[in-house]
Parts: sequence; C-alpha cells; structure tokens
Amino acid sequence: MSPRHTYLVASAFLAPAFLAVVLLRLWPAALSVERSLVAPNATSYSLENYTYIFSDPVFQNSMLVTLKFLLIVNPLQVAVALGLALLVNTKMPGIGVWRSLIFLPIAIPPSVSATIWGVAYRPDGPLNAMLTSIGLEPMRFLTSPDQALFAIIMIVSWVGVGYWMTFLLAGLQDIPKSLYEAVEIDGANAFQRFRYVTLPQLRRPLTFVLVANTVANFLVFAPVQILTKGGPQGSTDLIMFQIYDRAFTMGDTPSAYAATVVLVSIVLVVVILQFRMMERSEP
Amino acid sequence: MYRTKLALPFVAAAMAATMTTAAHADTTLNFVGTESPTTWENVIAAFEAANPGVAVEYQQIPFANFNAQIEARVGSQDPTIDVYQADTPRVPALASRGYLQDMSSLGDRIAEVATATEQSAVSYDGTFYALPLWTGTQLLYYNRDLFDQAGIPHPSDDPAERMTWSETLEIARTLQEKTDVEFGFTFHQVDRYFQLQPLFESRGEGSGLTGDDLMTPAISGEGWVDVATWYQELFESGLAPRGVSVNQMPDLFINGQVGMLYGGLPQIRRFNGAEGLNYGIAPVPYFEGGEEVTSTGSWAIGVSPHAANPEEAMAFAAFLTLDAEGSRLVSESTSAVPVNAETYEAYRGRLADMAGGIGDAAAILTFEIQNTAVPRPRSRGYVRFEEIMNQAFSDIRNGSDVADTLSAAERRLNSTLSRL
Repeated sequence: MSPRHTYLVASAFLAPAFLAVVLLRLWPAALSVERSLVAPNATSYSLENYTYIFSDPVFQNSMLVTLKFLLIVNPLQVAVALGLALLVNTKMPGIGVWRSLIFLPIAIPPSVSATIWGVAYRPDGPLNAMLTSIGLEPMRFLTSPDQALFAIIMIVSWVGVGYWMTFLLAGLQDIPKSLYEAVEIDGANAFQRFRYVTLPQLRRPLTFVLVANTVANFLVFAPVQILTKGGPQGSTDLIMFQIYDRAFTMGDTPSAYAATVVLVSIVLVVVILQFRMMERSEP
Repeated sequence: MYRTKLALPFVAAAMAATMTTAAHADTTLNFVGTESPTTWENVIAAFEAANPGVAVEYQQIPFANFNAQIEARVGSQDPTIDVYQADTPRVPALASRGYLQDMSSLGDRIAEVATATEQSAVSYDGTFYALPLWTGTQLLYYNRDLFDQAGIPHPSDDPAERMTWSETLEIARTLQEKTDVEFGFTFHQVDRYFQLQPLFESRGEGSGLTGDDLMTPAISGEGWVDVATWYQELFESGLAPRGVSVNQMPDLFINGQVGMLYGGLPQIRRFNGAEGLNYGIAPVPYFEGGEEVTSTGSWAIGVSPHAANPEEAMAFAAFLTLDAEGSRLVSESTSAVPVNAETYEAYRGRLADMAGGIGDAAAILTFEIQNTAVPRPRSRGYVRFEEIMNQAFSDIRNGSDVADTLSAAERRLNSTLSRL
C-alpha cells in the first residue's frame, strides 16, 4: 500500500475516536471556558466568576475538603491495593475466588453501593450493632462532621482497591523470576527483594494506578450526593458535588463553569506532575 | 448469502414494530412531577380519550432531586419536558429565569376557580405563570393507643383549644416515660424550611427574607437562634429521631415508634390504610404568647417555554387544573387539597368521610386556611434560599453550633442572592 493510502485508511479508523474526543471532550471544555468568562446578566467577558468563587468561603472549604480527602485516600488506596496484590499473588488453590471477591465491589454501580453503605452507617444499622456487641460506643458516622469524610473514604476505598489491585497483580506477574533469583543469590531478605526488585519493576503499573486513581478520586460524587449532600457542615463537600450544587441546586451556572475549569486545570497539573515524578528516576 | 436471507425477516419485523409504535401516538406529552403515578392515572386516561393522537407520559422524580432536574432540563432549554409540577413558592424564581410559560391566555379561567390568594400564588410580577392545583395544611397526628397506655387525654380537634409547644413536648416526654415508644414527637418533613417556617413566624421572627423584593436574608438574629436552638434540643434530648430521613418518618408513626407526627393532611389516606394504627388528629401546636401559624401552599402546574408540544401542553395543564372533570379526577386520586373552588366542595365531603372518627379534619382545614396560613416568601431567590436553609437545618439537627450555622448560612445567602 502506498503511504497515502495507509494514511487514509488509518484516518478512517481513527475518525470515530477523534470525533468522539472533539465532541465529548474538547468542545464542552472550550464551551466551559468561554461560559466561565461571562458573569450573570453580563454581556462581555470578565474574570468575575473566578474572583467570585475564589472569594466564596463555600468554594474555599470545598477545595480544602477535597485536598484533605485526596491526601488520605490516594496513598491509602494504592498501598492497600499493592498489599492485596502481593497477598493474592500466589498459586494457592482457590485464590481465584479471593481475587474475584476483592474485585467484586467495582461491578456494583456506585449509587447502589452508596445506598447500601448508607443503611450500614445508620445509627441503628449493622455497623453500630457490631460495635456495641463487642462493647464499643456506637458511632455517628454520617451525621458527625468529624467522621463523615472518613465514612466516605471507606466506601470509596471498598469499591476501588479491588479494581486497582488487578492492575498491580498483572504487573507483579510480569516480573521475571530470574531477577528474584539473582537478588536472592546476593543474600537479599524479603524487604530488600521488595524494595530493589518488585517496586522498580512495578513502576509502569504503579504510575498508571496512581494517576488513574487520583483522577477518579478527584471526581467522587455519588456517595456525597446520595448520603451527605456535602454535609454535615460542609465536611464532605467534595469539588464535584460543589460544582453540581452550584449548577443544578443553586442554578448559578456561570460560577459552576468557572469551578469546572479550575477543577480540570488542577487535575491536569497533578497528572503531569505525577508522570514527571515517576519518570525522573529512570536511567 | 444464507445469512442475509435469514436476517431479512428480523429486519422486516423490526421495521414493522417501529412503524406501529410511531403510528400509535402522533404527539407524546412529557409530564414530570414528584407525585406517585396513581395520582395522575385517571386524568391522563381521560385526557387521552378526549384527545386521540395525544399520549401523556408521566415521570416521577423524587422531591430531593426534582429541583436539580428542572434546573438541568428546562434550564438547558431541553424540549423533553412539556408540563411539570411547579411548587408555588418557587414560581417567582422559576418565572424570573424563564422556566415557566406565561399563562395570561388562561387568566379568566384561573380567576373563575381560584381565590385572590391562590391567584397570587401562581403569579409573578402581576402575570400568571402557573395553574393552581393544590393547597394544604398541616395536622398533629397522635397515636391513640399510646396516649391511652400513658393515661394522657386525647387532644381536642377544635382549633380554639390548640395546644402550645410546651404542652405538646410535655406529652411527648410522658409518652416516652410511660410507654415503650422510642420517640415522643417528630416532624414529618424534618430539616425542610416548609415545615419549620411556622416556628419562626409564630415567634414573630418573620420568614427569614426581608427587604422590598425579599432578597435580603435575616436569619442570624437572637430570635432565630433561639427558635433554632429549640429545634435542635428536640433531637439532642432524644424526643425526636436523628438520622431518619423524611421518607421514613410516616413509617415510624405507622409502626408505633413515634407518638406524635406533625405532618401534612394527605397523610390521612396513608394512615387510614395502615393496619392496627389507631390514631387521631389535632391542630398543630404554637408557641405560647406567639401567633398561631401554619404552613400552606402546595404544587401548581407549569408548562415549559421550551416544550416540544406547546399547544397540547397548555391544553393538558388546563385540563388538570381548571377543567371541572379533570380537576375532579385528580382530586379523587389523592388526598391533597384542591384549589379549584368547584372541586373543593366535593373534596370536603370526601375528607369528612375519610377522617370519620379521627377528628374533624375538614373544620381544621377550613380554619387554618382562613386564619393561620402563612405562605412562603415570594422571592426570586426562594429556590436558593430554601436549599441553603434546608442544609442549615440539617446541620442544626445533627448538633452543629446554632449561631455559627445560621451566620454562615446568612453569609452564604448574601453571596448567592447577589448573583441574581
């Protein structure tokens, strides 16, 4: 085939994906940026929406809550997923059942898992029943401003760790045994094997998991909207819910557009930083 | 070739199916609301019979999500909503943002069936923007068996002998002491401004919105903090339940887990159907030394200005509310109080039958509507006000510092109302 012909065929195959990216990603993003520069009842462009949200204590609180959420949930989920992957990376009979059970929560729609966890967290629900049966005080979970965010973190982690575990498990199984044998000959213990063979070899899957997990956690919405609506006292007002609240509950779409642009910019910066960090130590 | 021949019958069948469904209705009206579909079944069937070629599809959306749906769909000029339930206090907000069709063409018919108060409830800036459907009042429901067990005399259903809040809470405490009921008292619509507005009005603290155009919040003064603290104390002291949502409250009453429920009149139908529930009604309490105030106002019917079928939509909306037959069919499917004067008389008779034995609901209804009903503030910012107030009440119920919560809500209201 001539180069021109190859090019045409390639373009034809890429066209649907390209069209989807433009229509569903690039165009709405451009629209958001344009709309965010128009204040309500204004006819010209200005940065008023941005000054409004950055000076709004509610938006500031949302940014802080999201930051706090991410600082806890990202390392937690990646560490637990890695731990689980190491645990299930054996050839024990029946290990497939365990892997499936750990993976299963991701197959449930987030709204369903949020609703069921909501029942579990009720003051008279099964979690408090378990706590009181072993002599502990019942907890307030979703009605306490100190506990609600951790309750959300629990739900999100319960759903997510199985999913991320499968990628890390695949990464672990790709590591050649010869590397471990070589290092054992040098007299390395389990921890040293992990640090000098496993982790470096897992760089690629770990990068992927870290980046994808961060983005997914920036976008957490269902448990907040169904269970806490940003409360109590704004302690679970994650950024996605804040944008939804602005746009559809308050009907203040201009500031919602501005908040969306801010969110996308932050996510972009974080993802770029993460890629850079993971690349740096490569020879 | 064999595969193509096999496919032909399926293709033909698929085409036939789409053609028959398309021919079934030339126009489909989309109607959304919060009511159960059973409320509209009969009136929709009657409308479809009288208008061949028009089908009405009703979609029920939970109240908590309803505002967001209207904002998202009508707000983005989506033609997929033709007719929708519009909460009367939200009419100014919806109309000022262009979410409601001007109803001036039906002005004469509206004036025929609705009182001046109800007409203003569906107007904004002197123009009709919705069609009046229901109004309402609230009642104090009490469990007669529990009262008997505790040796408490049944409260009177005469509005002249209305109980004060102190008396009511005293009864609630006695119920908890002398019977094994979990909670003495609860509101049905906890944490909702609609339910709690009378508390503040009864103490003379106003509706929370002041100023010429009712766009200035006034909710952080001493009076508001006092009443809100009183509300918080109900849950703090264990008289009323925390962590139970609005939807679950009637079940609590039906199961005998709460002794008294402050709720809307339509609950009568539900409680009558509950086996083993022996209950009565009384007028809702008020603060001693304060005004007797009750909530009122309910849903109206609006048409979206971006409706795909505007003419049929107006006809359907008018049939539901202004037409004698249509209004009657709706009224017989629900216990909501109709605004339509012609339908109201028949409703009063049915109410007397339904309420037989539990108390004179019709007399309470008439008294409250005429003497104590205070509508919600008609402000362009009402939707945002209500959403922020509901969040504040929810935080207060969960134990947050009352003064801080109200001040923060007031700052937030100032911030968001200034954007309108």
